[in-house]
Amino acid sequence: MPISRRDLLRLTAGSGAMAALGQLGRTTAMAAPSGSYRAMVGIFLYGGNDGWNMVIPTDARHAAYLAARGSVGIKASQLTTLTGASYALHPAMAALRPLWDEGSLALVLNAGTLFAPLTKATYQSRPDLQPSNLMSHADEQAHWQGLRARDISVDGFMGRIADRLPSGSTPPLISLAGSTLATIGRTSSALVLPSTGTLTRTGYTSGSSAANQAKNAAIDVFANGAGYGAIVEATARDSTAAYGQANTANAIVTATSAVDNYFTHPTTGALLTSDVARQLMRVARMIEARGTLGHARQTFFASQGGYDTHSGQTGGGNNDTGTHANLLGELAMAMAGFHRAMQSIGMAENVTAFTMSDFGRTYRGNAQSGTDHAWGSNHLVVGGNVAPGGIFGAYPDPVLGGASDIASDGRFVPALAQEEYIGAIARWHGVADADMPYVLPNWSTWSNGGRGPIGLFRG
Amino acid sequence: MRTSVRATLCAALLLAITACGGGGSSGGASGTASGGGVVSPAPTTPVVVGLTDAEAARLAKQASFGPTPALVARIKELGVEGWLNEQFAATGSTYADIAAGEVRRDICPTGDTICARLHFSRAPPAMRFYADAIGAPDQLRQRVAFALGQMIVASEQELNTAAGIAAFNQIFLDNAFGNFRDVLQRATMSGYMGNYLDMADSNKSAPSENFARELLQLFSMGPDQLNMDGTPRLDTTGARIPNYTPDDVRGVARALTGWTYARLGGAPITDSNARDYSQPMIVVSARYDSSAKSFLGTSVAAGATPEASVAAVIDAAFNNASTAPRVARFLIAHLVTPNPSPAYVGRVAAVFANNGSGVRGDLKAVVRTILTDSEARTAPSGDAGKVKEPILLMTALARAIGFSTDGFVFVTRDTSLGQPVMRAPSVFNFYPPDYPLPGSVTLKSPASKLLSTANLLRWHNLIYDWTIAGDATRSEFALDSGLPLSSLTQPLWSGWEAFGTDLDAMVARIDLLLFANALSPAQRAALKAAATPITNADPVIQARKRAQMMLYVAASSPLFLVDR
Repeated sequence: MPISRRDLLRLTAGSGAMAALGQLGRTTAMAAPSGSYRAMVGIFLYGGNDGWNMVIPTDARHAAYLAARGSVGIKASQLTTLTGASYALHPAMAALRPLWDEGSLALVLNAGTLFAPLTKATYQSRPDLQPSNLMSHADEQAHWQGLRARDISVDGFMGRIADRLPSGSTPPLISLAGSTLATIGRTSSALVLPSTGTLTRTGYTSGSSAANQAKNAAIDVFANGAGYGAIVEATARDSTAAYGQANTANAIVTATSAVDNYFTHPTTGALLTSDVARQLMRVARMIEARGTLGHARQTFFASQGGYDTHSGQTGGGNNDTGTHANLLGELAMAMAGFHRAMQSIGMAENVTAFTMSDFGRTYRGNAQSGTDHAWGSNHLVVGGNVAPGGIFGAYPDPVLGGASDIASDGRFVPALAQEEYIGAIARWHGVADADMPYVLPNWSTWSNGGRGPIGLFRG
Repeated sequence: MRTSVRATLCAALLLAITACGGGGSSGGASGTASGGGVVSPAPTTPVVVGLTDAEAARLAKQASFGPTPALVARIKELGVEGWLNEQFAATGSTYADIAAGEVRRDICPTGDTICARLHFSRAPPAMRFYADAIGAPDQLRQRVAFALGQMIVASEQELNTAAGIAAFNQIFLDNAFGNFRDVLQRATMSGYMGNYLDMADSNKSAPSENFARELLQLFSMGPDQLNMDGTPRLDTTGARIPNYTPDDVRGVARALTGWTYARLGGAPITDSNARDYSQPMIVVSARYDSSAKSFLGTSVAAGATPEASVAAVIDAAFNNASTAPRVARFLIAHLVTPNPSPAYVGRVAAVFANNGSGVRGDLKAVVRTILTDSEARTAPSGDAGKVKEPILLMTALARAIGFSTDGFVFVTRDTSLGQPVMRAPSVFNFYPPDYPLPGSVTLKSPASKLLSTANLLRWHNLIYDWTIAGDATRSEFALDSGLPLSSLTQPLWSGWEAFGTDLDAMVARIDLLLFANALSPAQRAALKAAATPITNADPVIQARKRAQMMLYVAASSPLFLVDR
């Protein structure tokens, strides 16, 4: 028999500093969320996605695009066009076209890490307004996840949202992509599920024999980290929580569920096997089980790696194939499958999936058919509640060294801050106005002066 | 948990020894690191400082892949300085023979999985990593090499050449007690790294910035200017100060153009199947940017050779003021604690900057300073603690039990635990060095990133499998027929069986090897209570089963997950 909830509480309460922290910062704003269920699903594209090849202009700007992109530009005839829009998706992302047609896909153009509104001129004249360590993977990932553009973050926006939610034995914050800054809260911690495999604990069994009881009692004595300092205590708390959550989560991920059947290849019909698809399949399972889990709100973190395409981004003389095409193809099929799965359980309008990434990449392709680190980039938002045909932000002036480019290779000043983008999703998710500065520490910079969250959603 | 007058005296004595340069150290490969040598020549016999068992076990946790009875006894016998000197001289681990086996990429017939595993996977060097971690005597060299390999990362994820991986990791073994500049130089020129971060075939027409950027950000100075104590330098507004600009990165990238892979058998450089990733890269003059370059306050004149350009880059990275505290802090975090005081970082960084004989980058002097510092040697208190990363969890358990191994069982296990050695998910390693302890606004706990819900369960289950279910007949310990390198793994329970019915002695050994004697009376009693009901007519089997039960309870605990 697993450790009882009472034991769990006792162990947690015994862990001193954490118990004290648990008393801090919880407001009633989301303590009892009203209205319908909502979930946000952030998909982090690790390595810096070349968003300039994910969302591509189709009008007169395409010639300038092709000229500037050099070794990685994609011809107009190959694009996944979007009806009524002057932008298209990468050729490998055709799986998302039906979502655009039905009004469940929005485009966010040239978003990135910003500490304050910047132009090229103010970027050059005001280093005190620049995010720190631009173009560093680690720092920019932390800026996206922690949302403190000039400071080091020790917690992330998803964790801070969860801090404001009622906690249960299974947290409403779930990562399918490992422990990460985004999901660290000050008082909450995430359930971190694997994308495949089960969650069972060998050894701690329910037998009533004296030997079994003695073994379990000994394990319990060792489960308590009290008196050994914060690091042992936190580790003990996480271990105990993991054992407690495993049974619940395992039952969900090992049961049979029809939501999996929507994660299929649109032409071959084969079940998707990419890691990002498997992650989103499990997200779908946890959303399907929201009632069992007692979750009125859920926050998910998923990821796809491999976007640091300094070479071989495009391949074989065809710029619509290669490493980047494979990644975007997997992403598009996974996101489309996820949306179909949500529709199948009537949750499409209650769930929003969105991309994040370290940074965009240089507009100019390099001599190795790759691209280097840059700044602003394009993003995708999928869900039944997004504004149909929505295109937000502004595509940069693509001239190398031009009005948007802080260098000579196409490193564009973002038109939108992450707060304007993620803030819109956080508000939709249910974060109260009073909690926005807690969830987005730099919120006042963007909520004042008319740069509040973008109008991503209907009505 | 416990402090003693003895420990405090010991620490003070160690400081004094370090300060006067004793301990019989010999020169490093690239510098002459005698630690000062001001007062007396190196004694020929080690200074015995009267360590307790717990103190010896603590050093073993920091400086080896896990305490064993023999190791703890040896440290007690030689004392800290004496044992460190023995370790500085020790040899035994190597990848050189594997590195010598580079073959063409088109050599394996389709479907020949043995050929593919032998030549195009991490399996051979990763098995060696674990076999040596469990059994080779040069434990400290291997620990330092493991740390360096997590700072300067190239991964099987991108490039699956066994020989290339072996050659790359040999750099860290060779130079663990050498000079950090040599580490940078050899890693920069490595064909394996050349592929991983695209310096190979970087062309003056559009230089790749990938290696250039990570050399500065991850392998040397870091993005922010640091004080010698590792704290960030701040400008007048309180903001951190960048260490380099995009123009610096561009300049470095230009200086690093014009290199490609050595080729096997004299094949032309157009033959992509003949790349020799185990060798340093070679020059392709036509792709080299020979014009004048400037970066990081350095200038390279027009017409300088490619080699001179590389040397200028390495010197700039190596000599940057922030490189000393950054490397110091990184190695302290990997060996001792992720939360050193600034003063501790400062003491180690000062030795990195100057080993006492005017040599910068002497890693032997740096490692000696890290491990003899009072912050490393004083008994733990308060929030001290370092979460064991999964690789160290596995090796510590295996060494505590007593494994004889070819390493294969570890290679089949480490992926599911989130830390496949030599296969980091990215150049940022398995975890960032500044990953926060969840819920703390001050404490760092890098390895906590790997303690996800799923990994905690997997870790628990591995402990169960290797203890209660861990007899030598266990199938995962057997020979692997698909890999000619495979011998087998044998958990050697004889040391535990020898305790017979003396449960107190078994508990004492577990307390020492796993916890450096930090268990409470209640915890020791609980172990005994868990083992007592286990009986068997065969006293040998009974002793083994009892030890397995107690090791399961102890090693699956959060107390074992954290070294204090």
